[in-house]
Amino acid sequence: MSLLYDDAQLAIATESGRILDARYKTEALLALIETTSVYDADFWATCATQCWTGIALPEGSGGLGLSLVELGLVAKAAGAVCCGAPFLTTSFGAARAIAAYGSDAAHGAWLERLASGASIGVVAFAEGQSPVPPCPTLMVTDGKLTGTKSAVSGGGYGDVAIVLASEHGVPVMALAALEGVSRHTLNTFDNSRCTADLVFAHTQAEVLLRGPDVLDAARHILALQAVITAHEQVGGAEALMFRARDYANTRRAFGSLIGAFQAVKHKIAELYALVELARANAIYAATREGEPDFLKAAAAARLSATEAYDTAARDCVQIHGGIGVTWEAGLHLHQRRARTLAIEQGNTLYWEDVLADELLGVTA
Amino acid sequence: MSDLETYTRKARAWLESVAPTYGKAARKGLSGAQDLALGRRYQASKFAAGYAGINWPTDFGGQGLTHIEKVAFEGEEMGYGMPNAYFGISLGMPIPILMKFGSDKEFIKERVLKALKGEEIWCQLFSEPAGGSDLAGLRLRAEPDGNGWKLNGQKLWTSWAHVADYGVIVARTDPNVAKHKGLTYFWVDMKAPGVTVRPIKLAAGDSHVNEVFFDDVKLTDDQRMSPVGGGFGVAMATLMIERYVATDSGGFGPHLDLFIELVKHLEINGRPAREDGRIRSAVARNYAQRAALEVITSRAMLMMQAGMEPGPEGSLNKLVSVRSRQKLGELAIDLQGGPGLAFNDHAFVKDDWTASWISAPTGRIAGGADEMLLNTIAEKILGLPQDHRPDKNVPFNQIPA
Repeated sequence: MSLLYDDAQLAIATESGRILDARYKTEALLALIETTSVYDADFWATCATQCWTGIALPEGSGGLGLSLVELGLVAKAAGAVCCGAPFLTTSFGAARAIAAYGSDAAHGAWLERLASGASIGVVAFAEGQSPVPPCPTLMVTDGKLTGTKSAVSGGGYGDVAIVLASEHGVPVMALAALEGVSRHTLNTFDNSRCTADLVFAHTQAEVLLRGPDVLDAARHILALQAVITAHEQVGGAEALMFRARDYANTRRAFGSLIGAFQAVKHKIAELYALVELARANAIYAATREGEPDFLKAAAAARLSATEAYDTAARDCVQIHGGIGVTWEAGLHLHQRRARTLAIEQGNTLYWEDVLADELLGVTA
Repeated sequence: MSDLETYTRKARAWLESVAPTYGKAARKGLSGAQDLALGRRYQASKFAAGYAGINWPTDFGGQGLTHIEKVAFEGEEMGYGMPNAYFGISLGMPIPILMKFGSDKEFIKERVLKALKGEEIWCQLFSEPAGGSDLAGLRLRAEPDGNGWKLNGQKLWTSWAHVADYGVIVARTDPNVAKHKGLTYFWVDMKAPGVTVRPIKLAAGDSHVNEVFFDDVKLTDDQRMSPVGGGFGVAMATLMIERYVATDSGGFGPHLDLFIELVKHLEINGRPAREDGRIRSAVARNYAQRAALEVITSRAMLMMQAGMEPGPEGSLNKLVSVRSRQKLGELAIDLQGGPGLAFNDHAFVKDDWTASWISAPTGRIAGGADEMLLNTIAEKILGLPQDHRPDKNVPFNQIPA
């Protein structure tokens, strides 16, 4: 797969950017911060109308049969506007797990619904600080799940979850419909993510995968989502770089545009460097699904993207000075989102270890 | 296989075949003069094999191919430690400028051929004590002298001037106008009376740069390569020629694999270094950064092959890679503890952590200091304003020294 976007891919980038830019409203996003359990329904409806919900899902299951490249481009546009819901990534991850490891019945029950956006999927592998716990505390016994998955992104609204659980003391990947499962939506610093604890009590589940490959499979699903998230992070970081640039090109102090001061212009040039490095790794990773170096590429994309977005969030506020720390200016929306995306889909420490394991050939 | 792959494969096979004669191992223990002589033979063999002037017109002894093949060859060549540094500037800047702006076609053709074969070397006399990053601040004077010109002043940091036969030079011809409007571009004979070259020993112990003094050095007007007062424009044209060069995500220092090899054999406080979180983090982050630079380069190559102009992000290569080379060198020395202090005067920069580290500061200054690169990104790519420049539009002779 080429590292250069083709015309159709460029059209997706332009269109998704145009559509989401037109709907971007700081006030609406600010309101979402102050309530729990509310996401931007308009954004999610747009995703469904534009078929972005199924863009990288198999054609036979109601998807468009495109790749990480196309979904990545949409996610980048969504990142630029600090989109008000996490499901573009979580539903995709859940659907890919079902498509790869699910029974015909699971395919029939969920894939078309997830591809159309009629249902929302979430992926709940993590427990505590571990993105892929080798010995999950969530138990599956006789096809029933018992236990808790905490801080599940999108958990407040998921219709179906893909979980890692222990069965007879070994990890398995399982699917559970979330109807009737109790959810405790958390008050987080980025509430539109609808992050929730899911409490399973004898919940009916289907084991998708057993055996020695379960953790690798979970890591693969996480990597798929991580590549999409990396694009979202690049979108956010790039948007902040341009905002910093535009402000430095209009704000005057000491008789000069502040962008003429090297303390300011070099900070923005450094952001450009971080954004372009992150973009390069995201582009590469999106073309590597199914290749032996996919995990490494995903890890590199995540590390660069997290660094770019966090730094951009920090420096864009700094360049704005006082106005940058106000509620109204909304730069904190990105500050919040940068940290949220840094944690969802495996934190920096996790991906550093993935890369170090691959390169140094050991597990610490 | 694409044409480029075929070309690259053939180039690699040729490099493999001559590596025992000219490569790292053959150069070990050679004196400066011996290494230069070997370099000239290597350059001659490149010419004979069709790997000199790859993207230059065949009229001038080139191969008539594109910068894509040139960059591909340079990328392959980099790993062998060939004695090619003597010709990098000569063939990279002065000679292409001579081909483009020189007036006497027969003379030019002869010079180009001799330079391509390694028989003659050209240097570029731009920087001065008063003007490095601020090139237009240079002071060396060219004054009318009969039908020609007379040069007086000093150049600094001139690479390979001590082995050069010719040079290109920017001089001030009019101090009464704004600084960049009073410059004129010439070529000079480095063996002419009045030219004195003094090598400068650099921090790493090597002496490839020089200070060059001009005392009443006479030039004919034929040696002028720009309109009088139009020298800055020709100097800037050099930057366009330099756009397509091979890059190295390791900042022309050691590859990350070498660091990983080092880590595998060391311990930190009695525990394997490769299990240490600080080392793991450094390995992961350096990998991510270098991988990104390599993707940027691959994309640029693909764009060129598709007839498109590569994106401006290619300008990040030197800035990002040399800084990271410097820091990784520090860490590599740190990791080794006391034994890391050992210094080998003859080690190759790409193989050796101390050699890489001690010379890394040069890389962050030569060919565009980090701060200038950041200014270029900010101004040319992002559209941010220029710095405050008190000397703007002020006649050169009225700028406070």
